[in-house]
Amino acid sequence: MTTQTPKTTPTQPDRPAAPQARRELPTVPTWRRKLRPYLLSIPALVIVIGILYPFVVGAYYAFLNYAAVNPNPHFVWFDNFKSVLGDQVFWQSVKVTAIFAVAATAVETVLGVGLALLLNRSSIIGKIFEKVLILPLMIAPVIAGVIWKLMFNPQFGILNHVLGLGNTFDWLSSSHALFSVVLVDLWIFTPFVAILVLAGMRSLPKEPFEASEVDGASWFYMFRKLMLPMLWPYILVAVIFRFMDNLKVFDHIYVLTAGGPGVATRTLQIGAFEDSIINLDYSRGSTYMLLLWIIVFITARYLVSVLGKAQRRAAGAES
Amino acid sequence: MTRFTGPQMSRRNMLAALGITGAAAASLPLLSACGVGGKASAPNGAGEVSGGFDWRKASGQTINILQTPHPYQLSYQPLLKEFTELTGINVNVDLVPEADYFTKLNTELAGGSGKHDAFMLGAYFIWQYGPPGWIEDLNPWLQNTSATNAEYDFDDIFEGLRTSTRWDFTLGQPLGTGGQWAIPWGFENNVVAYNKRIFDEKGITKLPDRFDDFIQLAVDLTDRSQNRYGIATRGSKSWATIHPGFMTQYTREGAVDYTFNGSELIAEMDSDKAIEFTKKWIEMQHQAGPTSWTTYDYPNATGDLGDGKAMMVFDADSATYPKNKPGASKEAGNLAWYPGPAGPDGNYKTNLWTWSWAMSANSRNKLPAWLFMQWATGKESMNKAVEGGTYADPVRKSVFDTTFKRIAADQYGYLETFETVIGQSKIQFTPQKKFFDTTQNWAVALQDIYGGDDAASRLRSLAKTNTSKVNL
Repeated sequence: MTTQTPKTTPTQPDRPAAPQARRELPTVPTWRRKLRPYLLSIPALVIVIGILYPFVVGAYYAFLNYAAVNPNPHFVWFDNFKSVLGDQVFWQSVKVTAIFAVAATAVETVLGVGLALLLNRSSIIGKIFEKVLILPLMIAPVIAGVIWKLMFNPQFGILNHVLGLGNTFDWLSSSHALFSVVLVDLWIFTPFVAILVLAGMRSLPKEPFEASEVDGASWFYMFRKLMLPMLWPYILVAVIFRFMDNLKVFDHIYVLTAGGPGVATRTLQIGAFEDSIINLDYSRGSTYMLLLWIIVFITARYLVSVLGKAQRRAAGAES
Repeated sequence: MTRFTGPQMSRRNMLAALGITGAAAASLPLLSACGVGGKASAPNGAGEVSGGFDWRKASGQTINILQTPHPYQLSYQPLLKEFTELTGINVNVDLVPEADYFTKLNTELAGGSGKHDAFMLGAYFIWQYGPPGWIEDLNPWLQNTSATNAEYDFDDIFEGLRTSTRWDFTLGQPLGTGGQWAIPWGFENNVVAYNKRIFDEKGITKLPDRFDDFIQLAVDLTDRSQNRYGIATRGSKSWATIHPGFMTQYTREGAVDYTFNGSELIAEMDSDKAIEFTKKWIEMQHQAGPTSWTTYDYPNATGDLGDGKAMMVFDADSATYPKNKPGASKEAGNLAWYPGPAGPDGNYKTNLWTWSWAMSANSRNKLPAWLFMQWATGKESMNKAVEGGTYADPVRKSVFDTTFKRIAADQYGYLETFETVIGQSKIQFTPQKKFFDTTQNWAVALQDIYGGDDAASRLRSLAKTNTSKVNL
């Protein structure tokens, strides 16, 4: 290998001499200088307004008595909130939303981590499954709902046939519907958790695991004491995404049950849709949405603070 | 290099700017409070049409219409080119499946875009779309001889259908008052269709005329091991579960939805007759209905009849009629009709549904849209549609008595059933502006009772809620 030392020329007689004084920058008029930061922030402001405007309008409607049958609304202040919060159906929707979000997120996380552990081993089957796993994520939840509705059908659906349940077991009855819609959510979104966690696993340093192996640590010990703490921020990111999404779930549940039977699977989003779009009571629907937003906001704040702590702990900043 | 020393935006300035922006964003809806929910409805367009009537008065124009796939729509689809030849008006058709059709229409009309000039509409929707001024009153159009052909003959349409599409939106007032908000196009009597082949095999010759006997027959016909059940009805979480068979038999049994006490409506879903009937209806679903009844819409019910899984269907006659056409279903040619069980006093009160044509109040093509509606509900096109073979129950008496009776003559029991119920067939619901909200609540209550709730207490709760809602 050869190295070249740069040739230095002490003088460059063919070049003109550098100017003695620095050239003055053109003077920018004062008004332009004052305007510049505002102009630079316009794109951000447009985005903020684009996000805020529908939200503000929705929040504004929640304080009116605006419905199709009442096209000239006026302020009713907190009447909609009193009405919604005093309605048993709303609290049933809160209960359904909470059960759905917690159950679906918990099971998706456990299954997702399990799948990621299996796929982390480099084998041909693992590589094939890695590709196949992503397929449910490519299907729109509405389409997934339609597919599963056909599979759930007691008369000709494949599930009853394969599981030997005959034609009298109804997956979408009052007692089974919530379980069934969670099942469909698991089918669609478990791969999302698995892929996220798998990416995290593959980014972990190898040295601590090799050192533990030399020391004779068991696989479970390494998983519990090494992998899980380092993986925790990735798992939490998946949990935050899935939990937020599950609180706002609508599409596949609406296709499968429309929130029924009765109110067995009526989530807050379905309640808002029913009030706003079917019953054309925009103010009541907006009240539902505002209350859902408050729930999501508080939950998100909490989960993000937990994630921050986990990240600091994984980085060794906190014990 | 000179350092840029222009003003730096401090956090305070940024917050102030955001505050101003936020205030501006917030003030927009305040400023537009008068126009909340889209623009105001345009004035009625009939007055702008003058001179003699001419089908080619709007030649060269294009209209957009919104439809849902349906035997009526399918029957008229091949005829659209004849309309274009007659008038010089081009027609763009948008199709939306029935499950999403009214959601789409609600959203579009609420936004006031007027994208679709004319659309298929059910009579109940008039009660919700009329008060905010989303649909055009067609009375001025009917009365304007410059816009309406002298041969149109609106009175040829069955009177019960003409009145079912009129209301003045006053609580307690019956249908038939106020504007003409839609023009009837096709209608449906909710009666029983059954599998005659199986009935003949089992030697069932006398069809039950009492509700209890009807339930017993449905139970007797049910054989889960053969994937066969007695009676298919709608059961999904939708207002549409209430209006076909349920409302028909509910009315025949002597129950009503509301009574008017002079100032407000009182929900009567918890009357003794209503509770007794509802219990029997739900029990019938458990013993002789489809396993997943709570997801059943009319395509499921009529599909099972056509596939030979359901022995009877209590739903729209025009929805079961096409299933009997050769090649349309497995049981084509084996289906027959009868009115269903009579009430205790022998009445055959029947709830009807009418598909009609309505015009958007914000349409920018009102004259061509009106010419289209006039053509679609006219005698000539209706005769041709009926000849096609899948269009049942034309709304015009002249078409019904001639072409339809000839076409439907080989449909066992169809015309006899029609003749039996037509005198008592009308919209059996009390008109009210919260129809969809309160009627969906009714369907939810049926599902809850099906799921195990006590019928009496659940219906009392429903009646209390609905009474408070309809009088708001």
